[in-house]
Amino acid sequence: MELDFSPLLDSWGYLLGGLGITVLLAVLTVLCSIVLGMALSIGRIYGSAWLRIPIVFYIDTQRAIPVFVVLVWIYFAVPILTGWNFHPFWAALVALTLNASAYAAEIVRAGIESIRPGQVRAGLALGMSRAQIVRQVLLPQALVRMLPSFGSLLTHTIKDTAIAAVIAVPELMKRAETVVGQSYRPIEVFTTIMFVYFIILYPGSRLIERLYQRVAHLGRS
Amino acid sequence: MSADDPMLTSHQRRGADLPPVVVYEEVRKLFGDFVALDGVSIQVNQGEVMCLIGPSGSGKSTLLRCTNALEVVSSGRVIFEGKPLPSNETEARKIRQRMGMVFQNFELFPHKSTLDNVAIGPITVLGMKEGDARARAMKLLDKVGLTDKAGSFPSSLSGGQQQRVAIARALAMEPDVMLFDEPTSALDPETIGEVLNVMKQLAEEGMTMIVVTHEMTFARRVANWVVVFDHGKVVEQGPPEQIFDAPTCDRTRDFLGHLGWNG
Amino acid sequence: MTLDWSIVWESRYALAEGAKLTVMLTVITMLIAIPAGIVLAVMRLSKSRVLSTSSMCFVEFFRNLPLLLVVYWAFYVMPVFMGIEFSAFTTGLVALSLNVSAYNSETFRAGINSIRKGQTEAAIALGMSRGEAMRKIVIPQAWRRVLPVLASTWVSLFKDTSLVSVIAVGELAHVAMQIRSQTFRVLEMLTAMAVIYWLMGYPQAKLVDWIRKKYEVKE
Repeated sequence: MELDFSPLLDSWGYLLGGLGITVLLAVLTVLCSIVLGMALSIGRIYGSAWLRIPIVFYIDTQRAIPVFVVLVWIYFAVPILTGWNFHPFWAALVALTLNASAYAAEIVRAGIESIRPGQVRAGLALGMSRAQIVRQVLLPQALVRMLPSFGSLLTHTIKDTAIAAVIAVPELMKRAETVVGQSYRPIEVFTTIMFVYFIILYPGSRLIERLYQRVAHLGRS
Repeated sequence: MSADDPMLTSHQRRGADLPPVVVYEEVRKLFGDFVALDGVSIQVNQGEVMCLIGPSGSGKSTLLRCTNALEVVSSGRVIFEGKPLPSNETEARKIRQRMGMVFQNFELFPHKSTLDNVAIGPITVLGMKEGDARARAMKLLDKVGLTDKAGSFPSSLSGGQQQRVAIARALAMEPDVMLFDEPTSALDPETIGEVLNVMKQLAEEGMTMIVVTHEMTFARRVANWVVVFDHGKVVEQGPPEQIFDAPTCDRTRDFLGHLGWNG
Repeated sequence: MTLDWSIVWESRYALAEGAKLTVMLTVITMLIAIPAGIVLAVMRLSKSRVLSTSSMCFVEFFRNLPLLLVVYWAFYVMPVFMGIEFSAFTTGLVALSLNVSAYNSETFRAGINSIRKGQTEAAIALGMSRGEAMRKIVIPQAWRRVLPVLASTWVSLFKDTSLVSVIAVGELAHVAMQIRSQTFRVLEMLTAMAVIYWLMGYPQAKLVDWIRKKYEVKE
């Protein structure tokens, strides 16, 4: 069997662009899901039952349905319902965010609940309101504690972005398929792309761990 | 007048001629079936240092938390500066602004510098300008002897230093009364003294203080009034000379005896 | 927009077949990945550098790859290396097993590591052999930590089986997507697919929560 890596050399710029889209999609997804997840978890912890029950239902639903299913539903079914057509990139961003925000909400909730009640008492004793305590005391500490979990959410999301290839988002996975389709060199292309993903993801998780070690004390009450 | 005059002790109780700061009337507090406070009636006078002593779980800390409405009493009343504590949260918040509280585990905010820990109350609660609040915070850090740690984070301070910052944080609200919940129980023995000294200094300045403590030497020397708790009840109260030198009640004697106190 | 939900009812047997295959893929993958995970974890913890390094490389590699890529890779590369054609089902199974084994290995390793060394020593001091100490003391304790994580992995795996639809394994997602493209009843089929996944996945997610609560380790 002869290996021929020339298709990769010919289209490295094209693939690199795909990697850029992969990273962009993942980072946007994580940022949106952190914001959404924070809102969901605060509603879940401090909201009334009217707010809490639908939020829990939403979170559990997202944990029960594959991202793939959410993705194809958003991309193929939503335009039929609404008449809007969107670029696959936005469909992927919405679908991945809907899914990841459920996980982000669980991360934020665990983070807030891990802070000992004395911190709330200290805030109350100063005369702070509940909202002030959440904003000034709980969330900043919880965010530090959540850093490792957000790190794994990011790596998890980078892996999930590959699924967006199914709806032809031109990210790394899709472009790799395209190169394979043109050159018919699946072994060389897919194996190389595997290492590219690995090289992004493996040090990525280590880096976040390192960063966390430096700031961990800010969350340790 | 001789020191043996029985009338003298009651007359001598500090602030007796002024309206009391805090009055507890038949306060009961239940946690489920557990009776944490079982009809406590005491009063705290202006400028007085009142120490609450007694075995663990006897209700001292619960009474402290009922004082600033962190816990709501099951029955009875807590009266602060002539008015019963309000039951709604917004009103309770205003009362808490006038009481400083110091916790066993310091509860400094780990994501804020020492200076910002002290300034956070005036900024967020009183709406003070950041510059003014920091200036006030700096003065208070000076008072507790920690100006050189203004920029440090709590994680780099010793327990005693953290507790001094916590005292400064509570003082930054310029409270009428300070509540101390076992302020030295979580400290290494060598740092207890520095915290007690700050408290003693506060007492000398005339701050009204309610102190839950196991530091009998501090209670003996600094308190004006000592209340002994057992099983949610006040078993004895009086000036420190009476409690430590001539307790009238067996339970007090037992408790002090267990601590190895022998006058 | 006219909707015709009867297509869902008409396709009920095909969808049921698909759902059956989804469950089979999940079960068989787990049956492979649990022993494989244990073997990898024991290799990783062994004193032999070769064994522990090769286990680490395998685990870290497959944990840090998108599953979809592993599926494609297995589809294109395996036949070339092995010289035989595999069915789509087998290919999907291999890809899922590689992925889940790597995750399980980390789960088992964390479980074993969580037991303090003193526990083994105490057991040996009582006269147990190393094997007995492992069987009677270490594993039962580690199990409490391992089970909740395995349960979450199970749900992830259940959802991930939808990805092998891209190589035409006839599980639920593939069946639904096929009917969609044959009948053009896109909204109906995709919604039906989501609902079926939800009906199957929701109780599993709840079960995981229950297991986690029950076995929660208080430190």
